[in-house]
Amino acid sequence: MTHFSAMVLFSLLVSVAFAALSSDHRTTQERVKYGAKVFAYFVGFGLLLAWIFYPLPF
Amino acid sequence: MFNTETSGEAAIPTPVSTGRTAFACISALILPGLGHLVLGKWVRGVVIGVVISAMFIFGFMMEGHLYRPEKSEWLTWFFSFLNAGMGLPYLICLAADWGIQVQPEQAAKVTFEYGNTFLCVAGALNMLATMDAYDIAIGRKA
Repeated sequence: MTHFSAMVLFSLLVSVAFAALSSDHRTTQERVKYGAKVFAYFVGFGLLLAWIFYPLPF
Repeated sequence: MFNTETSGEAAIPTPVSTGRTAFACISALILPGLGHLVLGKWVRGVVIGVVISAMFIFGFMMEGHLYRPEKSEWLTWFFSFLNAGMGLPYLICLAADWGIQVQPEQAAKVTFEYGNTFLCVAGALNMLATMDAYDIAIGRKA
């Protein structure tokens, strides 16, 4: 397993759990949208942080 | 039985008895998703159960390990607390000494820290699921 696939797997599982446990999203459609948004944020910020940290020597 | 969970409509929160609330919370701590199943939230219970269990299993597949509180290292108490959120699976592993000891070749794997994170987050999510079950039981949430 690569770093990227581990991050995507983590993002997927946590976003599904967050969507299922969300208090602000009551209908199934709202939960699915919220889960997709959380997943996109996780992966997006993961890639952004990887890009920022890549040139660092430590 | 499947009420508004699958219909896409917002459900109306209805509180349950104190005994059933306590039973749901204890069940949620024993096994992921069980608290929601006790409260009749079948879809949510199964989703939570599958996701948290998958996270726990993937954690081990990635060569992660569970923590046990040690007097000399205070940080292990924090990670043990997160791991303990898994409930019964953690207690079984602790009693049988499964996945607690770390081998040098295991720690050298690239996915070792990912595995530890998966195991800690699985426990943290189960604590969140327990609080969610409590909210549903007291009628704060549908």
